[in-house]
Amino acid sequence: MLRAIIDNLKGLYSLLVGLSITGRFLLSPQRTVHYPRQVVAPESLASFRGPLELVPSADDPAKTRCISCQMCVRACPDNCLKVVKGEGGKAPAVWVYDFSLCCLCAACVEACPASALRFSHKVYLTALTRDELKLDLLADLKARAAKAAGGADARPPAQPPAGLEPQARL
Amino acid sequence: MALSLAVFVQIIVAVLLVIGLMVGNAVVMVYVERKACGFIQRRPGPFEVGPRGLLQAVCDSMKLLGKQIFVPGNIDWPLHFLAPVVAFLPVLLLYLPIPFGPYLTSLQVDDGILLILAFAGLGAVSNILAGWSSNNKYGLLGAARAVAQSVAYEIPMIMALLAVIFMTGTMNLTTLVEGQGGWPWQWNIVRQPLACFIYVVCLVAETNRAPFDLPEAESELTAGFHTEYSGMGFALFFLSEYANMLLVSFVCAVFFLGGWRGPFLDGFWWTFAKAYAIMFFIVWIRWTFPRVRFDQLLNLNWKWLLPLSILNLWLTAVVVKLAN
Amino acid sequence: MSGLGFINPFGVRELPGTTTGDFYTANFAQKAQPGRVILNLGPQHPSTHGVLRILAEMEGEYVWRAEPVLGYLHRMHERMAEVKTPQQFLPNMGRVDYLHPLAWNWAYVGAVEKLAGLEPPERAQWLRTLSCELNRISSHLLWWGAFVMDLGGVTPILYAFEEREKINDILQIITGSRLTMSYFRLGGVCADADDRFLALTREFVPYLRERLKMYRGLVTDNVILRRRLEGVGPIDVDMCRRYGATGPVLRAAGSPNDLRRDVPYGTYPQHDFWPATGFPDDCFGRYLVRLAEIESSLDIVEQAVRGLPPGPIMVDKPPKANFKMPAGETYFAVEGARGQVGVHLVSDGGKNPYRVKLRAPGFSNLSLFAEAAQGTLLADAVAILGSLDLVIPEIDR
Repeated sequence: MLRAIIDNLKGLYSLLVGLSITGRFLLSPQRTVHYPRQVVAPESLASFRGPLELVPSADDPAKTRCISCQMCVRACPDNCLKVVKGEGGKAPAVWVYDFSLCCLCAACVEACPASALRFSHKVYLTALTRDELKLDLLADLKARAAKAAGGADARPPAQPPAGLEPQARL
Repeated sequence: MALSLAVFVQIIVAVLLVIGLMVGNAVVMVYVERKACGFIQRRPGPFEVGPRGLLQAVCDSMKLLGKQIFVPGNIDWPLHFLAPVVAFLPVLLLYLPIPFGPYLTSLQVDDGILLILAFAGLGAVSNILAGWSSNNKYGLLGAARAVAQSVAYEIPMIMALLAVIFMTGTMNLTTLVEGQGGWPWQWNIVRQPLACFIYVVCLVAETNRAPFDLPEAESELTAGFHTEYSGMGFALFFLSEYANMLLVSFVCAVFFLGGWRGPFLDGFWWTFAKAYAIMFFIVWIRWTFPRVRFDQLLNLNWKWLLPLSILNLWLTAVVVKLAN
Repeated sequence: MSGLGFINPFGVRELPGTTTGDFYTANFAQKAQPGRVILNLGPQHPSTHGVLRILAEMEGEYVWRAEPVLGYLHRMHERMAEVKTPQQFLPNMGRVDYLHPLAWNWAYVGAVEKLAGLEPPERAQWLRTLSCELNRISSHLLWWGAFVMDLGGVTPILYAFEEREKINDILQIITGSRLTMSYFRLGGVCADADDRFLALTREFVPYLRERLKMYRGLVTDNVILRRRLEGVGPIDVDMCRRYGATGPVLRAAGSPNDLRRDVPYGTYPQHDFWPATGFPDDCFGRYLVRLAEIESSLDIVEQAVRGLPPGPIMVDKPPKANFKMPAGETYFAVEGARGQVGVHLVSDGGKNPYRVKLRAPGFSNLSLFAEAAQGTLLADAVAILGSLDLVIPEIDR
């Protein structure tokens, strides 16, 4: 009987300890990074695997290193790549990548003999339909080259969608 | 007390005000609960709708009002639709004897606390009706738990209040408050700490709040007795849950914390401040503790709270007798 | 429940006896005694964590008989292994058990390496240990939160997620993803650890040790939790052996089985740790074993960061896309967060394996449940289910 009473009193004390812990957290600052008002630091996305992108060749930022050897297409477990060789030369004419199928396994990146593929860090990519996720990587490469020609960083850190400015605090 | 026209009008006005209080309380408490829960869990809680999310609860209630009422098959429909109403209506009555302020009392009843305790039991009836009529096994289990729980915890609750009544010799809530002073050491909690503790435990159990939220134990019974309710049916349960919480908090404030009396500037704000402090405490423990098991809940009641409350009552009786 | 009909003025369709429901319910109901209720927990139920379904024969609050129904998340991983080369199948391993993907990575890669005779370089081995242990911690943390949530405490899981996010941040640096990691390759790992990774890991270890003290105050010492768990659902070594249960469930039962010790692989022989045993065999013991394992994993992580040798992270000639395993049969098992993760691989010398059998620890652990839950209260059954740490995708595969 006495033991049970002591046990219960100890139990009550443990409840008070629990209350003091949650009470302390109640008053401590929050941990939420609230997208889109806040975004995570770009350096924490440095190795994040976003959708694939083509690596520009050393001399021309609008040209791909791809030699249309189909190694990536064969390596891909999800059949999400489509590379069609262009007329004359090795450069591809079509480079379509279906992000909705991709499992981001990096098999293509590792299989590429020309090191023409890498992962982008586009964490904020969104789409309303599956077709929008069929990405034309050649066009993407050209767009990046044009941006780079305009003075912008060729591989900008991840930016939230337009119109939503990053904000330090809520 | 003759039921004169003036009293009748007074009751009507009071009921309307109480409905306003109930709805306003639910809106405020939904917001406070979600914010407190968010802050405890180190996240901001609702903040998208309105400044700092203030309009979130309003939007939620709009949503509940606008929702289609989904009726499951094979229900006992009169009871199914009666249950939320039964949950909601008695609470209106329960607020009548509460003295919010020195003059702000809906109805001066000499046996005010008796009225409250008598009608508070109806909440369990609504839980049974809801659980039984919705033809859902989770609902049925929840209803069975609700009955056992509220029947069990009513007894030590009454015993705890009875100790205070022995001591002060009145069941009139206004007189009770007037018997206490403004400073904390003049409150009944100092003279009856055990009764206050028992009452607070029973208060959490009676309102089916965590850690005693067994009738709606989410991880076991999905939502317990109101599993099959949607839209307004659910909203009424929700409303009555918060109204019940506020009511027992008011009773606690009146009985143990000096009601409207404060260190300075007596008035209804003290009652409200004290009641909402207790409400916040209930919210706080909900987001801190795991849930007890059902047999533990009943054991706690029958083996600990009830003997303790009887002991407390007996001690109070002896002391009162000797003092006289 | 059919008794409701007589007060139903609309006379809607009467429930025809006890044989309602689908095949499983009808089958289960045949053995039910009259007066008992068949309760169907799941496939959508808050405490079954996904799409597990449990049929329970209840008398009041007591569970008399329980039967798990599986297969709602069957994704044919074993079949996929037969039509894909080992390299192509690797990302699947991150999806089998999404909470401890690196153990599955290791099991499959290890099986193929064992068959092909590949020996990954020293640094790759250490990185495997390091990342696998970090992943184990994150798995146990999520289990901790989810288990307390099963018991009704909602807040701890969000605290656990703070730490889990930190681990995800750390593992993302080397694996590139936060959940379904695919980091191991045949003959090594795919990315090297940089300074940031090592610095964050070094920072994380003391941080988590500090937080574990808070866990203790908030949950472990809490009287409500203790009384919910102590003495509930005892599972002894004999029962574990009969069902093939491994991992923390077996260790809580008192048997110090740990593949990292018993069948050493990777760099585990060089680490100083001891499997957590000596706890009661009830739910509370299983709870304590996992918390103790977090601490022992932290020790291993600390040692691995300290002892990480320089060198290559891949064998000299990594297997190419046309890599063919020699014909043969092999079995490789690692210690996952839930128990023995095994891959039985049969190759006929072709590009794809002939047959791959994945041994999921959760499957054996779940088989226990029917026996362990017999005669318990519903709330206890939920606690036992939570204490087994089930990941349904892994069970259904």
